[in-house]
Amino acid sequence: MSTSSDPVTTTATTTSTYESTSTYETTSTYETAVVLPADLHARPAGQLARAAAGFTSAIQLEHADRTVNPTGVLAVMGLGATAGSTVTVRAEGHDAEQAVTALAALLATAE
Amino acid sequence: MSATVGIVLVSHSAELAAGLRLLVEQIGSDTVPLATAGGTDDGRIGTSYDLVLAAVRTADRGVGVVVLPDLGSSVLTARTVLEDHPRPDVLIVDAPFVEGAVAAVVTAASGADLKTVADAAKEARHVHKL
Repeated sequence: MSTSSDPVTTTATTTSTYESTSTYETTSTYETAVVLPADLHARPAGQLARAAAGFTSAIQLEHADRTVNPTGVLAVMGLGATAGSTVTVRAEGHDAEQAVTALAALLATAE
Repeated sequence: MSATVGIVLVSHSAELAAGLRLLVEQIGSDTVPLATAGGTDDGRIGTSYDLVLAAVRTADRGVGVVVLPDLGSSVLTARTVLEDHPRPDVLIVDAPFVEGAVAAVVTAASGADLKTVADAAKEARHVHKL
């Protein structure tokens, strides 16, 4: 994984699997780390949960060795993530890239 | 956009219900149909059968209503209302009042169905805040 001065670093892997139904299914895994500009309190947690529910991919938020499903607003608040700490967004599925991009943007602009 | 599951907050205190409403509108959404039944008919601390019944009707958009009581007679009154007006799509949910309301409103705002919204409120009991 590369590092840069940018607070957001992204890694992505794409795997194609051949399905017995003779169609190609592409499942992608994306991951982005965001340094929080502000505490991850109630309002941004609510925004994250609502955004996360709009994707079909399996999404995880990771902070300080704890992993939660961001569709759970209470679990997101329970991370207790504070300004300056790093939260990693990870998604696996057909809209993984869009999910990670959207959630990382919310985390990066939280007030 | 399809209809949204409604939420009813039943409290002994009109101020508590109204304050929780403001909170969940900020965290979750102000577009979820949400009604409060707080206090007695004449504004004292207590619960009102008629206010609960009216709140259920106010929050109902045709895809189900989750009723969240705070404690004690709020639970009893809400149960009595639902027993007198039984409907499979109006559920009273055993959940912590604040956390359950926040989880229910956020989940309803994302377009979830009645069972998913009710489960989100129930599961609020098991989410640690520390």
